[in-house]
Amino acid sequence: MALIELSKVGKDYASGPEVVRALKEVDLEIGAGEFVAVIGASGSGKSTLMNILGCLDRPTRGSYRLAGVDVSGRSADARAIVRNRLIGFVFQGFNLLPRTTALENVELPLVYRGVSARARRRRAIAALAKVGLADRLGHSPAQLSGGQQQRVAIARALVTDPPLVLADEPTGNLDTRTSYEVLALLQALVRDRGLTVVLVTHEPDIAACASRVVTVRDGRIQADERTAEPTRAARLLEELGGAPE
Amino acid sequence: MSSLRLLLSAFRLALVSVRKSGVRSLLTALGILIGVAAVTIVVALGEGATRAVQGTIDSMGENAFTVTPRSVARSGARGQRVPPLTEADAAALTEAPTVRHAAPLLSSLTQVSYRENNTAAEIYGTSLAFFDIRAWKVDDGALWSPEADSIGGSVCVIGRTLVQELFDGGDPVGQLLRIGRATLRVVGTLEPKGRSPFGQDQDNVILVPLATMRAKFYPTAPGQIHRVLLSADPEARPARVTEEITQILRQRHRLPDGVENDFRVRSQEEFRAMQQQVFGVLEVLLLSIATISLLVGGIGVMNIMLVSVAERTREIGIRMAIGARELDILLQFLLEAVLLCLLGGLAGALLAALAVGGFGQLTGWDMRVSWRALTVALATSSGIGVLFGFLPARRAAALDPIQALGRE
Ligand SMILES: Nc1ncnc2c1ncn2[C@@H]1O[C@H](COP(=O)(O)OP(=O)(O)O)[C@@H](O)[C@H]1O
Ligand SMILES: [Mg+2]
Repeated sequence: MALIELSKVGKDYASGPEVVRALKEVDLEIGAGEFVAVIGASGSGKSTLMNILGCLDRPTRGSYRLAGVDVSGRSADARAIVRNRLIGFVFQGFNLLPRTTALENVELPLVYRGVSARARRRRAIAALAKVGLADRLGHSPAQLSGGQQQRVAIARALVTDPPLVLADEPTGNLDTRTSYEVLALLQALVRDRGLTVVLVTHEPDIAACASRVVTVRDGRIQADERTAEPTRAARLLEELGGAPE
Repeated sequence: MSSLRLLLSAFRLALVSVRKSGVRSLLTALGILIGVAAVTIVVALGEGATRAVQGTIDSMGENAFTVTPRSVARSGARGQRVPPLTEADAAALTEAPTVRHAAPLLSSLTQVSYRENNTAAEIYGTSLAFFDIRAWKVDDGALWSPEADSIGGSVCVIGRTLVQELFDGGDPVGQLLRIGRATLRVVGTLEPKGRSPFGQDQDNVILVPLATMRAKFYPTAPGQIHRVLLSADPEARPARVTEEITQILRQRHRLPDGVENDFRVRSQEEFRAMQQQVFGVLEVLLLSIATISLLVGGIGVMNIMLVSVAERTREIGIRMAIGARELDILLQFLLEAVLLCLLGGLAGALLAALAVGGFGQLTGWDMRVSWRALTVALATSSGIGVLFGFLPARRAAALDPIQALGRE
């Protein structure tokens, strides 16, 4: 059973009197442990697809099964619970709460899960340690570099141990080195923990790190190819040379 | 998640958020502070005044009445002027079936001294019945004798304040007091009654037989008195007692039908009704002003919360994306509003307590912020928080996560 099963999914937006058909008849299956890159021109429908995969939005047509459960028609609250339990989000703009420490940011998903304060703290510290920020617990986002902020965001996405991480252009605001670092982290998670990652990107070198590349064009899936040998982001970092951060 | 836990974590979030927006929280709470302070002060003043009125009325004695003269143009009155109210009137009133005691009263202010100590006090000339009507009890010594009661004598009974001021707490019974130009022996002292609710010292009094008063301190036309104090059967209806008193006095004063009474009868009940009516009107008036200021404060809170929701749209989007449900967001903002109002309310209650305390000190009235006033104030402020926080909170909870995330 695939983790993600989209069948004939369509999404329309009302834009004034006109209807924008952002997605048309999308069929897509993604298995557990896959690392999928979604590429395509701006406006092709990548974010719309990610919003539906992330249960932030509902498809206008078609069905979406996540971990075997049809979530396409669920209520807002039911989808909030699905997001909390099954999905971790990494955004282009990091989307950390301002004036809030890294630790508190990472604890947040556990708050909505009803985890006790002590367990929350313990798990958040562990997640931050895993992304190499054990010494930045009390820093607020403003006190962290872009790469560090994105790593806090990844820790927040992982703290609930979700099977799926969705990342919409996570390296869009990062320089090359930091991008590779984030990517190396994601690759390691896929390799070590069997995490499933779906990542939107514009950059071919980033897409080359994925085990599978899905090309979206005009609201349809134009191409869907497995990469024989994905680039290891760790190797890209080595090639970059120089001192690490 | 249990609902208590949900509430607790929402409360914690609200606390954090209120703390993080310091100055703004303060300003928002200020509106509520003023409103709550106003309400609390008004309630405290109302309660204090009610207590005062109640105390004054109760100190009149049980089922008590007073008769005072009332000036009217009397046609056909010639020669010697008849005093409007006399000792004989008081005596005659004891004949009324429902009247138990009647005491004539003359009152005045006087200087009183013992050795080098000197002070001013109120002096009452009356009969022994007075002590029954007012339920004033002897502490040391005794009341004057029945003989002195009818023909007078150089004796007096004094209140606790005079015992303290003139005798420095020593035993006054048997000592001679210089009162005005006369010298009187103290035969008894009274149990302390404390300040009247309006701050008048009820223990700064000298009581003497009526005949003594008239002879030594307050010469009057024969038999004239200032008022008659009466107590009636506790079972008797006030209207009936008044009726009996009126009948007897009209007869004694030879008032033909159609001529107005030349006296006025007031019952304790009447005082109570009259004064409570005045305070009731006042309280309603003040309370409505205070309520308006609370409403203004509440609208301020709603305004700030709406701004806050608009500013924190992205935060709301983030929270929703990572699993906050509508109720989580609703509670967070609702509790934030309630917390703001409660903080303002607490500060307002504190301010009110200070103001009321200061006012009490200044006037000598018995004023304090009661638990009732405090409870009303805090319940009202949290109520305002819920009422005016609901709309902004619902707006926050109804946001679409994608749109909320997309906005800076
Ligand atoms: N909320 C919306 N309302 C109207 N049109 C939208 C909305 N969101 C996206 N679209 C349209 O849907 C299409 C796909 O957008 P999007 O999924 O954001 O593309 P991409 O992420 O690939 O750049 C675009 O034409 C965009 O204008
Ligand atoms: Mg996009």
